[in-house]
Amino acid sequence: MRRFSWLVMGLVLLGALLVGLQPDDTPRTTEERVFDVAEGYKCPTCRSQSVADSEAPSAKAIKAEIARRLEAGESEQDIRDYLVSRFGEEIVLTPSSSGVTGLVWVIPVVAVALAAAGLFLAFRRWQRRPSIAVSDEDRRRVAAARGGEP
Amino acid sequence: MNGALGTAGVLLGLLGALGGAGTVLVGLQRGRPNLLRSAPAYGLLVFAGAFLAMAAMERALITRDFTVLFVAENGSSRTPAVFNVATLWSALEGSIILWALVLGGYLVAVLRKFRDRLDDPLVGWALVTMFVTAAFFFALMVGPADPFKSFNPPPGFDGPGPNPLLQNHILMAFHPPMLYLGYVGFTVPFAFAIGALATGRVGEGWLVETRRWTLFAWGFLTVGIVLGAWWSYEVLGWGGYWAWDPVENASFLPWLTGTAYLHSVMVQERRGMLRVWNLSLLCATFALTILGTFLTRSGVLDSVHAFTESGIGPAFLGFFAVIVGTSVLLIGWRGDRLRAPGRIDSPLSREGAFFGNNLLFAAFAFVVLLGTIFPLVVEAVNGDRISVGVPYFDRMAMPIGLGLLALMAVAPVLPWRKASGELLRHRLEWPAWIGTVTVVVAVLLGARGLAPLLAFGLGGLAAGSAGRQLVLATRRHGWKGLVGRANGGMVVHIGVVIIAVAFAASQSYGHVGEFRLGEGDSAEVGGHTVTYLGLETIERSAKTETRAQVQIDDDGVFTPSLSEFAFGSQAIGTPSVRVGLTGDVYLALQALPEDGSDEILLRVVVQPLILWLWVGGAVMAVGTILAGWPGNRRRPTDPTSAGLAEDVTGPAPDPEPVTA
Amino acid sequence: MDVTEAVDHAPRSRGLVLGAAVVVAVIMVALVVVLATRDPAQDRVDESPLVGHVAPPLVGEVVAPEATAGSHFDLDRLRGQWVVVNFFATWCVPCVTEHPELIEFSERHAATGDASVASVVFDADENVDDIADFFADKGGDWPVVDGEDVILDWAVAAVPESFLVSPDGVVAAKITGGVTADGLDDLIAEVQQP
Repeated sequence: MRRFSWLVMGLVLLGALLVGLQPDDTPRTTEERVFDVAEGYKCPTCRSQSVADSEAPSAKAIKAEIARRLEAGESEQDIRDYLVSRFGEEIVLTPSSSGVTGLVWVIPVVAVALAAAGLFLAFRRWQRRPSIAVSDEDRRRVAAARGGEP
Repeated sequence: MNGALGTAGVLLGLLGALGGAGTVLVGLQRGRPNLLRSAPAYGLLVFAGAFLAMAAMERALITRDFTVLFVAENGSSRTPAVFNVATLWSALEGSIILWALVLGGYLVAVLRKFRDRLDDPLVGWALVTMFVTAAFFFALMVGPADPFKSFNPPPGFDGPGPNPLLQNHILMAFHPPMLYLGYVGFTVPFAFAIGALATGRVGEGWLVETRRWTLFAWGFLTVGIVLGAWWSYEVLGWGGYWAWDPVENASFLPWLTGTAYLHSVMVQERRGMLRVWNLSLLCATFALTILGTFLTRSGVLDSVHAFTESGIGPAFLGFFAVIVGTSVLLIGWRGDRLRAPGRIDSPLSREGAFFGNNLLFAAFAFVVLLGTIFPLVVEAVNGDRISVGVPYFDRMAMPIGLGLLALMAVAPVLPWRKASGELLRHRLEWPAWIGTVTVVVAVLLGARGLAPLLAFGLGGLAAGSAGRQLVLATRRHGWKGLVGRANGGMVVHIGVVIIAVAFAASQSYGHVGEFRLGEGDSAEVGGHTVTYLGLETIERSAKTETRAQVQIDDDGVFTPSLSEFAFGSQAIGTPSVRVGLTGDVYLALQALPEDGSDEILLRVVVQPLILWLWVGGAVMAVGTILAGWPGNRRRPTDPTSAGLAEDVTGPAPDPEPVTA
Repeated sequence: MDVTEAVDHAPRSRGLVLGAAVVVAVIMVALVVVLATRDPAQDRVDESPLVGHVAPPLVGEVVAPEATAGSHFDLDRLRGQWVVVNFFATWCVPCVTEHPELIEFSERHAATGDASVASVVFDADENVDDIADFFADKGGDWPVVDGEDVILDWAVAAVPESFLVSPDGVVAAKITGGVTADGLDDLIAEVQQP
């Protein structure tokens, strides 16, 4: 009975996920695309806000430029190259995956791998050590101690 | 006069701190308990000094005494009185006064709570640590961060006032003190950890003593962070609440390690294990509060070259290095005593879950710290300026967050030592149904995307698991089933789930639009219609406010505004939000009409479930209070885990009776 | 099986903890040393992708001073002299602070005509009257331009930022933050040395 309940749950969940994982097909308007692209760039005047979220004059100018270029049919890579040529690598919010900057992606992965390996080895070491077996001597001792209790 | 009073207060505090540290140290080395018992006097001196300094500065701010440089740089005759008081913590020097005051308060409280045990060396070493920390902050105020530097104001001088963004909302009055009660509060458990390490008494006693202090600090830090997010949303005008900004990360890092500690400590209490983890987490939490203050106050984040411009950066970094060095050395020295008598028998156990919890939180803290300081390090090493922004943090935090939700679901139902899959399936059945229904409902409401759906499902699972514990506890103990560590903790978990679900929903399904609207024009965003009706201008003493009247959806008129403060600052926007149970419509006026046109620039942000972020925060606060409620302490003879034999056939007895 | 075996591992784990301690200490020391040995930001002369290249176009309508308001401005017309292209905003406090320095610089070179200043409006939403008032109050007789597409062409992040353009139209330097008359003269001298 219980197994059946889990089976039903699994099927319901699967069904829901199948529906839920359908990609959203509604086409994005130019304005929405501008916001999507602008979210990847840092507003040069702010400390860590994206161009999409900022209303500084520099952010407004960049948003306008992104809109113009998207409407002219440029790809996101082209826009990225243009903005980097003007403002430097600093303007891209996602750190690049190459060069020294790429370390910020690599280090966590390496750390996780090392930690996982360490855990695995430690756990194996624990498993391999046989647990303390209870000997008859021990049982006698315990019985004596308990027998001595009022 | 205020300057002199304030400086006197700072010196008093410094003398009290140094005197206290020295006296207790000598008392410990020479074994002279009467010296140890004189500590409360020094503690009072520290508090009195800090209080005097704060009172002097507040008086200077309220009376607009521009002979004090801090007031000349931050105060103004046009700032309303309430905000003048809050100006204290709007800039570095004043916020150090606040830190010193809170620390003095905690010091006095500790001295009072432990007044009968002052000759215990463990308490003595803890006091030394607290006095030394206090001495650091007072020394900062004597040296590089002197708030009472004098100034010769030219006639008719008026200060610029605090940053206008800080004057816009009453929340600014509460957010930093809450945050500081949290930050500074972690000094207490840290001090006792040092005491335990120094005396070698690393057993469980000191942990249990300081549990409520840690919970208290953690609770305020949590509330401080949520208030910060609320302020960001209500005031800054971009419609968001979390930007992985370095200042936000600085407050989040100690919260992560502190939360890990609060959980992991239970394993030490029950089975004496994970001691090195617990000490490391506690020391890391305190060290991160110092590192966070360094990052946000030294100016290094704007430019790495700002580091050497004042003495503050090096001072904080030096103190941070001392803390880390001391902690690591002490833990290394006492390593042999920290060995656990037992070990984790099975990963599928309460200990295993808490151990996994530690790993996930440590990974989270590591990734956030790395992302925050990476641009700094790269710039320092080869001069290149790069950014590590929201996309990085989101991508890293998402799997960790989902993992934490999963653990939150599973850990409360796991017994200690060992569990079987059968047990887990039995206990998680109802929570699993809740999770499934949550996903189904979300999909029916139109939610799409793997990450948010996983978040909803795991959130439902975790909420169900927490709810199950609460139902079982109240069934057994009545209303007492709601208080105490375990049950309060379940309430906190529910709060976290609410926040997680709201976070996932608002981040994944928000809509933004920016529109140029003439009078009478409308625009549509995210299923809502906004109509611009007109402008009105209001003149006030400190600012001129221009309000745009915008109607949302036939529902009501909201008034986002732009205020121009005197002193030629940029116009500051005040957003207007229609808060709803299912979502918010957020309006921010970006630009007034230019000459020759009547078009305003309006930013509209529609995000679901924002309200529930704040509700979740409140639930967490309530849960923290419940968790700290004095209640039944677990009797030593109470069973701590389910018997292994009854698992398979029938419902196992619940492993967790009401505990303190 | 011996209970002593559990205790045996004490020295090994102690070594592990000590090793971790050393690693952490080394990282800390490295961080402190690296941060402490950076050059302090003196004149904040920025490395910008524009330096060394032909200056981007700067055309637009002059909005101040009143005498020349309404006329057309083109940076290319100023070839043959050093030009300090200064991006500013009336609400920006450091811009107010550097303004007297720009006046000083402008007056120093007025006689020889070998260098001049051109201010550019950074905030497109600023009121033209505010700008005119700013210059009327604080002085300054050089053109203030409402340029087209300037922020992107010149990659201006914040104000104040100034660019030193050489007589042959090449961007010689970018200065972020306020400028000083002496600092500008020094820069010109430095660039002129081959």
